[in-house]
Amino acid sequence: MDFSWSDQQRELLDAVSRFAKEQLDYDMIEADRNAVFNHEAWKKCGGFGIHGLLVSEEYGGLAQDPITTVGALERLGHACKDNGLLFSINAHMWTAIIPLVYNGTEAQKKKFLPGLCNGSLIGGNAMSEPNSGSDAFSLATTAVKKGAKYILNGSKIFVTNGPIADVLLVFASTDKAKGAAGISAFLVEKDAPGLDLSHKIEKMGVRTAPMSEVFFTDCEVPEENLLGKEGAGSWVFTRSMTWERGCILAASVGTMQRLLERCIRYANERKQGGQAIGKFQQVAGKIVDMKMRIENSRHMLYQCAWAAGHRKAVYLEAAMTKLQISESWVKCCEDAIQIHGGYGYMVEYEVERELRDAIGSKLYSGTSEIQRNIIASLLGL
Amino acid sequence: MAETLVLIELDRQQVKRPSLHAIALARELGGEYALLILGSGLDEIAASLVAYGASAVVVADDPALAEPLADRYASVVADVARQRNVKTLLGTSSTFSKDILPRVAALLDAPMVTDVLALEKVDGANAYRRPINAGSMLATVKVDGDLRVLTARATAFEAPTADAAPPCPVESFKLDGAGLPDGMQFISREERISDRPDLTEARVVVSGGRPLKDPETFERLIGGLADALGGAVGATRAAVDAGMAPNDYQVGQTGKVVAPELYIAIGISGAIQHLAGIKDSRIIVAINKDPDAPIFQMATYGLVGDLHQIVPQLIEAIRQG
Amino acid sequence: MKIVVPFKSVPDPYAGAGEAAKSVINPFDEIAIEEALRIRERGEASEIVGVTIGPPAVDEQIRSALAMGVDRALRIDDARALDPYAIARILRALIEKETPQVVLMGKQAIDDDSNQVGQMLAGLLGWPQATFVSKIELIENKTRLQCSRETDGGIEVIAITLPAIVTTDLRLNEPRYVSLPGLMKARKKPIEVFTCEQLGVSVAPLTTTLSTSRPPKRSGGTRVESVEELMVKLKQEAKVL
Repeated sequence: MDFSWSDQQRELLDAVSRFAKEQLDYDMIEADRNAVFNHEAWKKCGGFGIHGLLVSEEYGGLAQDPITTVGALERLGHACKDNGLLFSINAHMWTAIIPLVYNGTEAQKKKFLPGLCNGSLIGGNAMSEPNSGSDAFSLATTAVKKGAKYILNGSKIFVTNGPIADVLLVFASTDKAKGAAGISAFLVEKDAPGLDLSHKIEKMGVRTAPMSEVFFTDCEVPEENLLGKEGAGSWVFTRSMTWERGCILAASVGTMQRLLERCIRYANERKQGGQAIGKFQQVAGKIVDMKMRIENSRHMLYQCAWAAGHRKAVYLEAAMTKLQISESWVKCCEDAIQIHGGYGYMVEYEVERELRDAIGSKLYSGTSEIQRNIIASLLGL
Repeated sequence: MAETLVLIELDRQQVKRPSLHAIALARELGGEYALLILGSGLDEIAASLVAYGASAVVVADDPALAEPLADRYASVVADVARQRNVKTLLGTSSTFSKDILPRVAALLDAPMVTDVLALEKVDGANAYRRPINAGSMLATVKVDGDLRVLTARATAFEAPTADAAPPCPVESFKLDGAGLPDGMQFISREERISDRPDLTEARVVVSGGRPLKDPETFERLIGGLADALGGAVGATRAAVDAGMAPNDYQVGQTGKVVAPELYIAIGISGAIQHLAGIKDSRIIVAINKDPDAPIFQMATYGLVGDLHQIVPQLIEAIRQG
Repeated sequence: MKIVVPFKSVPDPYAGAGEAAKSVINPFDEIAIEEALRIRERGEASEIVGVTIGPPAVDEQIRSALAMGVDRALRIDDARALDPYAIARILRALIEKETPQVVLMGKQAIDDDSNQVGQMLAGLLGWPQATFVSKIELIENKTRLQCSRETDGGIEVIAITLPAIVTTDLRLNEPRYVSLPGLMKARKKPIEVFTCEQLGVSVAPLTTTLSTSRPPKRSGGTRVESVEELMVKLKQEAKVL
């Protein structure tokens, strides 16, 4: 087993660190308060090459393997405090780009991937509905074929990047009788007649990642925008969801690392009773626990990405990675607040925001409970 | 005899005071030293320099030297150094000497040491202490060969007293102005008239950082406090980049190095590049809202709080004595 | 028009405490590279040659320069601890071989802080120089440069005849970042390697660093709680008011 980066990987990862440190380490308090998406930072990330890390070069990507990709995202999370931006990027990469890479026709890839890679197009994914969350495939949204078009009706909730999206991957039922096998996936462009993206949703955390409820009222989608075959929607979804679970929290490992470094600095500088608080066992113990969680998370992330890069089925690894990182992230944030005491609870210290940003990770891409269900069933329970 | 030549800087037909500090290093080096000034119409200035203990004041006076263009100046300085068989050519660190002296060093085929802080003896030979890495480290450097060029940090050497010695002769250096290099041409210089003392000479310096937000607030608070104290105004790179203050207010690794009696840092977190320019100040006061700002680790007195409230109070308190 | 940009690898000045020290292009040299790229993008230069001196380890910074958009990159293979004058003499040999119209470089390296090489190179070549430059314009049919210089007394404007040396100050521009696609392309570009011998130059440094030390730490850290307390301290303890 070789745990080291190659020279080329290290060079690429260092370039990411430097880019993130110089371009993405901006003030967050006001942006978070006002829930402002940073378009400029988004474009920079696209131009820099983040969005297209996994995409092949002919479609404007960089053809990197999954482990280099998660390593790059980890570096991004380490330097960039805008967890909302990172969440938007992840939604874009795993729920829009990946399904296109795997299921797109040549024409669809040529049309959408270069823009999605360079950041000029913003992608998203509309799956959850008001009455179907974790029970993903019981969709009320329908698509009916009429001539060369599909007509979509229904609504979707929790659509990350909804208000700013240029193209959404929308799942709708083309044959209710077939249940999951009657679900199809559509690339819906923002100017499609009958599409309403405007209903913004305000969130507890990752506030700078725009989210909306999306409505389809006789929404017309040309047939060439069907992604995969009719009825292949649940396959498209499951495949991309596995990538999503395995990789969406890569940046959070970097975020946790940053929090750890911050806590160590604080524990060494802050004195109580003439002594640095890091010398107190209760504080030191918390920091050690943070370190353990981060290392465990990182190992699972890399192992999952490595397996994905070797064309192995990673359902189990992906679910475990998602569960491990999300729960570690929330715990690390709680510990960081506790170590900072009252200051940690103050907005100005920018620790409380991290906790608010982290909590969502136990809900999106399948709740912690769902991950446990998946793991249990893969264990034969 | 080993002779040292000290290049003295002029600014608007006046001697730039900090450039005299190199004389202290010349004295430490031992032996005779001469002072050199270049310019046009220098009689009065030359006369003001005769009592600094030099063996001579050498004057290169020609209309072609009215502006400090590096190619001409370097050519003349090198000629003077050769003619006098100088062993050490010395200046005080400034944009003037850093522009000209390395070029002279190349013309004289001599090595150069920038920003000398102190003279040391290593195995009986001269070595020079200088800051590197934005002043976070000090290096001791030795120089091979008979001839060397040095610039001295003004803040590391005392200003010489003018009346210590009997007057020395003023020697005119003959030069052919028309024969000087003419690849460089002076076009203009920003003229900014200020009643405030020069940043590098002031007893008190008040500096501001990015949180001052705009030029008006910067001037009202930083300028206001500086005026109440009769001090000079400085700025961080961030404040200059944000357009709050002109570039020549910048204090730090790539700006000016100051060492006043009192340095007041307002809204300055204390990046190493800035600290490099202030660490020799006698008293440093830091006012910042972030209690973890690195500046507090080197400040003599630190006050945590909102500068927009504190600075007006401080101005008021100083006005009332 | 051809521009040569000499640059140096230095430890990353923004590396956090405890991070492994990585090398980067000296920030002032990065500004020089950016300016050369902008001149080329305006159609006023046709070729930009980046050059550095060092062992193969600096190839990573060379690839950064290529990734930014430098056309060709040269490395003079020399692992010695050279001083500014030795570097200037090596660069002179290279400049005489490459015959550029403009040499653009940083005003100082942020590790050594000497601020000498550009001026020395100008002296050796007998070329005009503009140091600490915050603005560059080509004038008079690209025969001269008009440069704004950041001096202690404020901005000074000079015009210099080409060929010439320009050293860059902070506010000349904000360098573009190295993108990953740029980095991928840079990996395919060759790095030309020369020895001093091949350039016909034999130099030895004339200055030697005998030792380094940490400067004495300032003892600071007295916190005061109010303007009143600060005033008392300044008057009675520091006696500075």
